[in-house]
Amino acid sequence: MSDEEVLLQSPLLYRVLRGRDGGLSIEVVVGGFVQFEVRVRLNAEETESFQKEGRAFADRLAQAIMANPPFGGRSVKLPVS
Amino acid sequence: MNFISRALVLGSLSTVVGCASMKGGTKTPDTTEPKPSTASLVDYCDDTQKAISKEADTLASPYGIDQHLDKNFPDRKVSWLMTDSAYQKFVVQTGAKNFGRCNDTACYLFAAPSASIHGAVEKAKTADGKHDPAVLGQALGLPAKNFEGPLRMMTLDLGAQKVCTRLPVDADPGVWKCQTPEDTDCFKFGGYTSGGAPEVMVINAPVADTQVAEIP
Repeated sequence: MSDEEVLLQSPLLYRVLRGRDGGLSIEVVVGGFVQFEVRVRLNAEETESFQKEGRAFADRLAQAIMANPPFGGRSVKLPVS
Repeated sequence: MNFISRALVLGSLSTVVGCASMKGGTKTPDTTEPKPSTASLVDYCDDTQKAISKEADTLASPYGIDQHLDKNFPDRKVSWLMTDSAYQKFVVQTGAKNFGRCNDTACYLFAAPSASIHGAVEKAKTADGKHDPAVLGQALGLPAKNFEGPLRMMTLDLGAQKVCTRLPVDADPGVWKCQTPEDTDCFKFGGYTSGGAPEVMVINAPVADTQVAEIP
Protein backbone atom coordinates (compact mmCIF):
# COMPACT_ATOMS: atom_id res chain seq x y z
CA MET A 1 0.00 0.00 0.00
CA SER A 2 2.71 2.47 1.01
CA ASP A 3 4.71 1.42 -2.06
CA GLU A 4 2.21 3.23 -4.19
CA GLU A 5 2.51 6.83 -5.25
CA VAL A 6 -0.62 8.97 -5.15
CA LEU A 7 -0.69 10.87 -8.44
CA LEU A 8 -4.02 12.56 -7.94
CA GLN A 9 -6.32 12.92 -4.95
CA SER A 10 -9.69 14.35 -5.91
CA PRO A 11 -12.40 15.93 -3.72
CA LEU A 12 -14.82 13.90 -5.85
CA LEU A 13 -13.63 11.04 -3.62
CA TYR A 14 -11.23 9.16 -5.83
CA ARG A 15 -7.48 8.92 -6.21
CA VAL A 16 -5.14 7.76 -8.92
CA LEU A 17 -2.11 5.72 -7.89
CA ARG A 18 1.03 4.43 -9.52
CA GLY A 19 2.11 1.01 -8.31
CA ARG A 20 5.62 -0.40 -7.94
CA ASP A 21 5.33 -1.94 -11.40
CA GLY A 22 4.52 1.46 -12.90
CA GLY A 23 0.90 0.52 -13.58
CA LEU A 24 -1.88 2.97 -12.75
CA SER A 25 -4.94 2.27 -10.64
CA ILE A 26 -7.89 4.35 -9.56
CA GLU A 27 -9.57 4.03 -6.17
CA VAL A 28 -13.11 5.37 -6.11
CA VAL A 29 -15.55 5.81 -3.23
CA VAL A 30 -18.85 4.40 -4.44
CA GLY A 31 -22.28 4.07 -2.92
CA GLY A 32 -24.97 6.28 -1.47
CA PHE A 33 -25.48 6.36 2.30
CA VAL A 34 -23.17 3.37 2.57
CA GLN A 35 -19.83 4.25 1.02
CA PHE A 36 -16.94 1.96 0.26
CA GLU A 37 -13.99 1.94 -2.12
CA VAL A 38 -13.38 -0.02 -5.25
CA ARG A 39 -10.16 -0.17 -7.23
CA VAL A 40 -9.78 -0.47 -10.98
CA ARG A 41 -6.49 -1.02 -12.74
CA LEU A 42 -6.21 1.23 -15.77
CA ASN A 43 -5.68 -0.49 -19.10
CA ALA A 44 -3.25 0.82 -21.72
CA GLU A 45 -5.81 3.03 -23.40
CA GLU A 46 -6.97 4.55 -20.11
CA THR A 47 -3.39 5.07 -18.99
CA GLU A 48 -2.66 6.96 -22.18
CA SER A 49 -5.79 9.07 -21.79
CA PHE A 50 -4.84 9.91 -18.21
CA GLN A 51 -1.34 10.89 -19.27
CA LYS A 52 -2.77 13.11 -21.98
CA GLU A 53 -5.76 14.65 -20.20
CA GLY A 54 -4.95 14.24 -16.51
CA ARG A 55 -7.72 15.21 -14.11
CA ALA A 56 -10.38 15.67 -16.79
CA PHE A 57 -10.05 12.04 -17.85
CA ALA A 58 -9.77 10.82 -14.25
CA ASP A 59 -12.98 12.68 -13.35
CA ARG A 60 -14.82 10.98 -16.20
CA LEU A 61 -13.44 7.56 -15.33
CA ALA A 62 -14.28 7.97 -11.63
CA GLN A 63 -17.82 9.08 -12.46
CA ALA A 64 -18.26 6.08 -14.74
CA ILE A 65 -17.16 3.79 -11.91
CA MET A 66 -19.44 5.53 -9.39
CA ALA A 67 -22.36 5.05 -11.78
CA ASN A 68 -21.60 1.36 -12.23
CA PRO A 69 -19.29 0.11 -9.46
CA PRO A 70 -18.80 -3.43 -10.76
CA PHE A 71 -17.44 -1.69 -13.88
CA GLY A 72 -17.84 -4.70 -16.09
CA GLY A 73 -16.21 -6.98 -13.55
CA ARG A 74 -13.02 -4.92 -13.48
CA SER A 75 -13.36 -3.43 -9.99
CA VAL A 76 -12.16 -4.93 -6.73
CA LYS A 77 -13.75 -3.90 -3.44
CA LEU A 78 -11.31 -2.44 -0.90
CA PRO A 79 -9.82 -3.10 1.50
CA VAL A 80 -8.86 -6.50 0.12
CA SER A 81 -9.09 -9.02 2.94
CA MET B 1 -21.13 39.78 14.25
CA ASN B 2 -20.24 36.98 16.65
CA PHE B 3 -22.67 38.30 19.20
CA ILE B 4 -25.41 38.52 16.59
CA SER B 5 -24.72 34.99 15.40
CA ARG B 6 -24.81 33.67 18.94
CA ALA B 7 -28.01 35.54 19.63
CA LEU B 8 -29.58 34.04 16.54
CA VAL B 9 -28.48 30.54 17.50
CA LEU B 10 -29.77 30.99 21.03
CA GLY B 11 -33.00 32.41 19.66
CA SER B 12 -33.44 29.39 17.39
CA LEU B 13 -32.63 27.02 20.21
CA SER B 14 -35.16 28.58 22.53
CA THR B 15 -37.73 28.39 19.73
CA VAL B 16 -37.00 24.70 19.27
CA VAL B 17 -37.15 24.05 23.00
CA GLY B 18 -40.37 26.04 23.15
CA CYS B 19 -41.88 23.98 20.34
CA ALA B 20 -40.82 20.75 22.00
CA SER B 21 -42.45 21.81 25.24
CA MET B 22 -45.61 22.81 23.44
CA LYS B 23 -45.71 19.49 21.67
CA GLY B 24 -45.96 17.74 25.00
CA GLY B 25 -49.04 19.79 25.82
CA THR B 26 -50.93 19.20 22.61
CA LYS B 27 -53.48 16.42 22.32
CA THR B 28 -51.93 13.80 20.07
CA PRO B 29 -52.76 10.58 21.89
CA ASP B 30 -52.97 8.44 18.77
CA THR B 31 -49.48 9.10 17.39
CA THR B 32 -45.96 8.78 18.74
CA GLU B 33 -44.27 10.41 15.76
CA PRO B 34 -42.24 13.52 16.62
CA LYS B 35 -43.77 16.76 15.37
CA PRO B 36 -41.92 17.89 12.26
CA SER B 37 -39.97 21.11 12.29
CA THR B 38 -41.62 23.96 10.43
CA ALA B 39 -38.40 25.28 8.86
CA SER B 40 -37.62 23.98 5.39
CA LEU B 41 -34.04 22.81 5.03
CA VAL B 42 -34.11 24.12 1.46
CA ASP B 43 -34.06 27.61 3.00
CA TYR B 44 -30.41 26.95 3.90
CA CYS B 45 -29.45 26.21 0.29
CA ASP B 46 -27.76 28.60 -2.10
CA ASP B 47 -29.53 29.64 -5.30
CA THR B 48 -28.04 26.78 -7.32
CA GLN B 49 -29.24 24.11 -4.89
CA LYS B 50 -32.61 25.83 -4.44
CA ALA B 51 -33.12 25.67 -8.19
CA ILE B 52 -32.21 21.96 -8.30
CA SER B 53 -34.50 21.30 -5.34
CA LYS B 54 -37.38 23.15 -6.99
CA GLU B 55 -36.94 21.12 -10.15
CA ALA B 56 -36.78 17.86 -8.16
CA ASP B 57 -39.91 18.74 -6.22
CA THR B 58 -41.73 19.57 -9.44
CA LEU B 59 -40.73 16.22 -10.87
CA ALA B 60 -41.80 14.41 -7.68
CA SER B 61 -45.01 16.44 -7.33
CA PRO B 62 -47.25 16.21 -5.38
CA TYR B 63 -44.44 14.85 -3.15
CA GLY B 64 -41.45 17.02 -2.25
CA ILE B 65 -38.51 17.43 0.09
CA ASP B 66 -40.55 18.88 2.95
CA GLN B 67 -43.05 16.00 2.92
CA HIS B 68 -40.17 13.54 2.57
CA LEU B 69 -38.43 14.97 5.62
CA ASP B 70 -41.61 15.08 7.67
CA LYS B 71 -42.39 11.49 6.79
CA ASN B 72 -38.97 9.87 7.05
CA PHE B 73 -36.72 12.30 8.93
CA PRO B 74 -39.05 13.81 11.57
CA ASP B 75 -36.15 14.65 13.90
CA ARG B 76 -34.09 15.98 10.97
CA LYS B 77 -31.18 13.72 11.94
CA VAL B 78 -29.29 11.86 9.24
CA SER B 79 -26.62 9.18 9.28
CA TRP B 80 -24.45 7.44 6.76
CA LEU B 81 -21.77 4.77 6.81
CA MET B 82 -18.30 4.60 5.31
CA THR B 83 -15.69 1.92 5.45
CA ASP B 84 -13.00 2.98 7.89
CA SER B 85 -10.47 2.78 5.07
CA ALA B 86 -12.40 5.29 2.93
CA TYR B 87 -12.93 7.55 5.95
CA GLN B 88 -9.21 7.61 6.70
CA LYS B 89 -8.12 8.23 3.10
CA PHE B 90 -10.73 10.73 2.02
CA VAL B 91 -11.73 12.54 5.21
CA VAL B 92 -8.93 12.30 7.79
CA GLN B 93 -5.86 12.36 5.55
CA THR B 94 -7.22 15.14 3.35
CA GLY B 95 -8.47 17.23 6.27
CA ALA B 96 -11.84 17.50 4.53
CA LYS B 97 -14.11 20.29 5.75
CA ASN B 98 -17.26 18.71 4.36
CA PHE B 99 -18.39 15.15 3.84
CA GLY B 100 -19.36 13.93 0.39
CA ARG B 101 -18.21 14.29 -3.19
CA CYS B 102 -17.12 17.83 -3.90
CA ASN B 103 -16.98 19.72 -7.17
CA ASP B 104 -16.89 23.44 -7.97
CA THR B 105 -20.44 23.96 -6.77
CA ALA B 106 -20.67 22.03 -3.47
CA CYS B 107 -20.09 18.77 -1.62
CA TYR B 108 -22.82 16.18 -2.19
CA LEU B 109 -23.70 13.49 0.32
CA PHE B 110 -26.40 10.81 0.39
CA ALA B 111 -27.78 10.22 3.87
CA ALA B 112 -30.49 8.13 5.52
CA PRO B 113 -32.61 8.60 8.67
CA SER B 114 -30.40 8.30 11.75
CA ALA B 115 -32.91 6.13 13.55
CA SER B 116 -32.82 3.44 10.87
CA ILE B 117 -29.02 3.44 10.55
CA HIS B 118 -28.47 3.44 14.32
CA GLY B 119 -31.12 0.74 14.77
CA ALA B 120 -29.54 -1.44 12.09
CA VAL B 121 -26.06 -1.01 13.55
CA GLU B 122 -27.33 -1.88 17.02
CA LYS B 123 -29.05 -4.96 15.66
CA ALA B 124 -25.88 -6.05 13.83
CA LYS B 125 -23.62 -5.90 16.92
CA THR B 126 -21.96 -9.22 17.68
CA ALA B 127 -20.77 -10.71 20.96
CA ASP B 128 -17.13 -9.90 20.15
CA GLY B 129 -17.93 -6.20 19.75
CA LYS B 130 -17.85 -6.24 15.97
CA HIS B 131 -20.72 -6.16 13.48
CA ASP B 132 -22.35 -8.75 11.28
CA PRO B 133 -22.41 -7.47 7.68
CA ALA B 134 -25.27 -9.83 6.78
CA VAL B 135 -27.51 -8.51 9.56
CA LEU B 136 -26.64 -4.89 8.73
CA GLY B 137 -27.26 -5.48 5.05
CA GLN B 138 -30.58 -7.13 5.68
CA ALA B 139 -31.70 -4.38 8.04
CA LEU B 140 -30.91 -1.66 5.49
CA GLY B 141 -32.00 -3.55 2.40
CA LEU B 142 -28.51 -3.52 0.88
CA PRO B 143 -26.01 -6.24 -0.05
CA ALA B 144 -23.99 -7.58 2.90
CA LYS B 145 -20.70 -7.09 1.03
CA ASN B 146 -21.17 -3.31 1.32
CA PHE B 147 -20.70 -3.61 5.09
CA GLU B 148 -17.62 -5.78 5.35
CA GLY B 149 -14.72 -4.63 7.52
CA PRO B 150 -14.54 -1.81 10.09
CA LEU B 151 -16.97 1.03 9.45
CA ARG B 152 -17.57 4.58 10.56
CA MET B 153 -21.07 5.81 11.30
CA MET B 154 -21.66 9.52 10.91
CA THR B 155 -24.58 11.42 12.40
CA LEU B 156 -25.61 15.00 11.68
CA ASP B 157 -28.51 17.09 12.97
CA LEU B 158 -29.57 18.95 9.85
CA GLY B 159 -32.02 21.20 11.65
CA ALA B 160 -29.64 22.27 14.40
CA GLN B 161 -26.77 22.87 11.99
CA LYS B 162 -28.99 24.43 9.29
CA VAL B 163 -27.73 22.28 6.48
CA CYS B 164 -29.10 22.52 2.95
CA THR B 165 -30.97 19.33 2.08
CA ARG B 166 -33.05 18.31 -0.94
CA LEU B 167 -34.26 15.29 -2.88
CA PRO B 168 -31.38 13.59 -4.71
CA VAL B 169 -31.43 13.86 -8.50
CA ASP B 170 -30.00 11.82 -11.33
CA ALA B 171 -27.23 14.33 -12.01
CA ASP B 172 -25.84 14.34 -8.47
CA PRO B 173 -22.22 13.22 -8.13
CA GLY B 174 -21.94 9.60 -7.09
CA VAL B 175 -25.31 8.45 -8.36
CA TRP B 176 -25.21 4.67 -8.83
CA LYS B 177 -27.25 3.87 -11.92
CA CYS B 178 -29.40 0.74 -11.71
CA GLN B 179 -28.18 -1.94 -14.07
CA THR B 180 -30.80 -4.61 -13.43
CA PRO B 181 -34.30 -4.55 -11.89
CA GLU B 182 -32.92 -6.67 -9.03
CA ASP B 183 -30.37 -4.06 -7.90
CA THR B 184 -31.22 -2.87 -4.40
CA ASP B 185 -28.42 -0.38 -3.84
CA CYS B 186 -28.76 1.94 -6.81
CA PHE B 187 -30.36 5.34 -7.30
CA LYS B 188 -34.02 5.82 -7.98
CA PHE B 189 -35.57 9.26 -8.17
CA GLY B 190 -38.09 10.18 -5.48
CA GLY B 191 -36.19 10.02 -2.19
CA TYR B 192 -35.89 6.24 -1.87
CA THR B 193 -33.18 3.85 -3.00
CA SER B 194 -34.11 1.07 -5.39
CA GLY B 195 -34.35 -1.11 -2.26
CA GLY B 196 -36.91 1.27 -0.73
CA ALA B 197 -34.68 2.93 1.89
CA PRO B 198 -35.36 6.66 2.41
CA GLU B 199 -32.49 8.97 1.47
CA VAL B 200 -31.78 12.67 1.02
CA MET B 201 -29.06 14.71 -0.60
CA VAL B 202 -27.18 16.77 1.99
CA ILE B 203 -25.18 19.70 0.68
CA ASN B 204 -21.94 20.69 2.42
CA ALA B 205 -22.32 18.48 5.49
CA PRO B 206 -19.76 19.97 7.90
CA VAL B 207 -17.21 17.51 9.28
CA ALA B 208 -16.76 19.59 12.42
CA ASP B 209 -20.44 19.32 13.37
CA THR B 210 -20.79 15.63 12.61
CA GLN B 211 -20.57 12.86 15.19
CA VAL B 212 -18.40 9.98 14.06
CA ALA B 213 -18.63 6.54 15.68
CA GLU B 214 -16.42 3.53 15.11
CA ILE B 215 -18.15 0.30 14.12
CA PRO B 216 -15.46 -2.40 14.49
